[in-house]
Amino acid sequence: MSGDRSGDANEAVPDGGTVTEDAAGGSGGSALAGLRDRDDFVVIATAAALVVFPFLLIDILGAVGDVIGISIGGYTGLPSLVLIYGIIVIGFNLLLGYTGLLSFGHAAFFGSAAYSAALFSQVVPSPILMVIAGTIVATLLAWPIGFVSIRRSGVYFAVLTLTFGQALYFWALGPGSWLTGGDNGFSGIEAHGLFVGALPLDAQLVPVFDSYTVMYGFTSVVMLAALWVGNRIINSPYGLIFEALGENEERVEFVGLNVFRYKLMAFIISAVFAGVGGAMFVIHEQYIHPTTGLYWIQSGDFVIMTVLGGTGSLIGPVFGALVFEYVANVISGVSLPMIGSIGSLWRFVLGAVFVFIVWVFPRGIYGAFADLAAMVNGRGGGDGDEPAAADGGERE
Amino acid sequence: MARDTTALSRRDVLKASGAAGAAGLTGLAGCAGVGGGGDSEYPALGNYPVEGDEVVFGFNVPQSGSYSQEGADELRGYNLAVEHLNNGGGWVDNWDGLSGDGVLGKTVTAVEGDTATDPDTARQSASRMISRDNAIMITGGSSSGVAIAVQELCQEEKVQFQCCITHSNDTTGGSCVRYSFREMFNAYMTGQALAPVLAEEYGEDLNFYQLYADYSWGQTQQASMEQFFTEVGNWSQIESVPTPLGTSDYSSYLSDVPRDETDVLVLNHYGLDAANSLPQAIEAGLDQDMEIVVPLYNRLMAEAASDSIGGIFGTADWNWQLEDDASQSFVEFYREEHDRAPSYGARIAYTQTLQYAAAVERAETFYAPEVIRELEGHEYSGAGLGNETMRGCDHQAQRDVLVCQGVDPSEQTEDLLLNIVSQTSRDDLGYACDAGPAAECELGDYGDE
Repeated sequence: MSGDRSGDANEAVPDGGTVTEDAAGGSGGSALAGLRDRDDFVVIATAAALVVFPFLLIDILGAVGDVIGISIGGYTGLPSLVLIYGIIVIGFNLLLGYTGLLSFGHAAFFGSAAYSAALFSQVVPSPILMVIAGTIVATLLAWPIGFVSIRRSGVYFAVLTLTFGQALYFWALGPGSWLTGGDNGFSGIEAHGLFVGALPLDAQLVPVFDSYTVMYGFTSVVMLAALWVGNRIINSPYGLIFEALGENEERVEFVGLNVFRYKLMAFIISAVFAGVGGAMFVIHEQYIHPTTGLYWIQSGDFVIMTVLGGTGSLIGPVFGALVFEYVANVISGVSLPMIGSIGSLWRFVLGAVFVFIVWVFPRGIYGAFADLAAMVNGRGGGDGDEPAAADGGERE
Repeated sequence: MARDTTALSRRDVLKASGAAGAAGLTGLAGCAGVGGGGDSEYPALGNYPVEGDEVVFGFNVPQSGSYSQEGADELRGYNLAVEHLNNGGGWVDNWDGLSGDGVLGKTVTAVEGDTATDPDTARQSASRMISRDNAIMITGGSSSGVAIAVQELCQEEKVQFQCCITHSNDTTGGSCVRYSFREMFNAYMTGQALAPVLAEEYGEDLNFYQLYADYSWGQTQQASMEQFFTEVGNWSQIESVPTPLGTSDYSSYLSDVPRDETDVLVLNHYGLDAANSLPQAIEAGLDQDMEIVVPLYNRLMAEAASDSIGGIFGTADWNWQLEDDASQSFVEFYREEHDRAPSYGARIAYTQTLQYAAAVERAETFYAPEVIRELEGHEYSGAGLGNETMRGCDHQAQRDVLVCQGVDPSEQTEDLLLNIVSQTSRDDLGYACDAGPAAECELGDYGDE
């Protein structure tokens, strides 16, 4: 959490707030878009959504499942998991959706933060300090990897990042197994609870609602912080340059800006988010394995979540994370009356959802919502609403 | 994340009201009473107490990935066990305590999950079974990495885990937990069973060369091979070379094997890896210069490499050709259902489920600490391998181990791929509680201390 804030302090221009309004007014032009870009609105609306989210996912869906006889409800722990991936893809989208860089190695930052937090917990079992420690390691790792990878673009950039990630994976599985536990995974993580163990992470926040754990509250707060930081960044002049980079790198260079430096910083910022997510993940799961933490498929999952949710908006990728984790962890356990168990077909189901969303709504799930909202408002189309979004969606 | 342990949660209230509503709608005289067999002398722990008249078992098997065929056969074993537990038949009729009307009068239902042979996916799937479906017992897995990951989760959640296929020494060694039990043998016992047979077959004072899959299982496997080949046959190891898990081309590793010096080549690979490495070794002509050994056989590998397994030694958990009554009856009712002989994965799955159910019946409660105490040190037979003991100090079954030899390709049938060479008695195997892998085992707490 604190890692975020320090990152933000470096990045966001202090008076970015006022510029934000102008920038939003200039590009969006509608009252709704203006409202969407405002910090307090974004944070309050998300906080409201976070309050009802576990209830909808676990209790309501569970009750519906009981009525129709198919288990489609979530379970305790799933809401936190969705938010953790949400935090990561918010940062990932700053890189992919805004700056237009497709990294295939973000598992490296996710995993290294997870392992660092896990190792750190052996010394100081404090969740908050674990997040800070993990994030610092991910950030320090992102600098050299970014420094080398940013020099190439497009597919070369993607493959370079992929290579770094895989190198770490093989290291963790083989030579580094004395530190990481190798294939047996790393367990024995000591996250005692918030405030020097006063609030155990698996305790209930509200007496009757067992879906609301302290862990969920903690994750929600980090999520809101991540969202606020993300919003500050993309609505600052600095974030505008990211967006400009995504649209046309050459023009940015002609203006006289140091393209390399901005791209590197976008890369590092997204790694900070991945680091926060990785550390949160290990606190949540109490376990980390090289296949989960560092394998390239994890990086690919970040890409899928981001594109599925919609690259053009800040909150969009979180919907992608929700759909992805829901299909992976709930739909995969569904047994249908005629067809039988879905089981291993969950990736097929996810693929079908992905194809459908990307085909019908090129701007992802959030884009679909935006289009719907625009249609209800009688404005139709909605393409002029968020030009950056449309471009971002089509770029990759 | 541990579940809350309050007796009545919000979700239960919703569920109950949903059930009551449904019952009311259909006009049934639905009595949503507090379940039968209600034993509430113990405090709530994990998913205890079991509400209602159903009890849920979670079958967490690989349905995708390289071990999916094994997962499918495990699932067949599990489903047979559920059917027999609920309706009688099979081993249920011969095992003490089991009655054929469910477990403690509650009908057994099952939830399934896909581990994808990935530890984290497996843990997510197990979490869902524990938190949402209220599974009282989780079983499955076909990889030691998965088994270790899930048994740690089950220890935290205070839910029983019954290991299925997992052969690493670590499962009941350094990574053992109180809430997990293993019926399968381990790499250490493979070494003990295999070395004397090989020493007799191939002679003493030989040189051997090992390749091993570079992960938990492969590492303990090659270490055990080295220990027993050196001790029993006075063989000497030339080298032991790690190969990455999931390698498809072993030719560079195989070409490094010194042909003039090596007498025995040990391929510590499993599943798809073994199905790749063994045929490649034979294609490279290594079998002309040396003997090849595959320490752990499984059906997937034997089928995929069927042209190459002729005469090759290895160990197996169990084989359908065993002639004792339990094995024969298992083969019979499995064949009735699925029209072919069961693999050993199906037997472990079936046995582990019945073992748990029988322990619950003996304990007369689903309360996990009592069930665990019933299993610890339990003597049993009737699981197809003669007399067995589920040892209390490390939760490792002390049982016989089969040494097998691949059948010549010309004589193979769909079911007949391996011949049993010997059944090494459990008296000649195993290790004391303060020796071998058990020395590293610290089981952890029961949850009722």
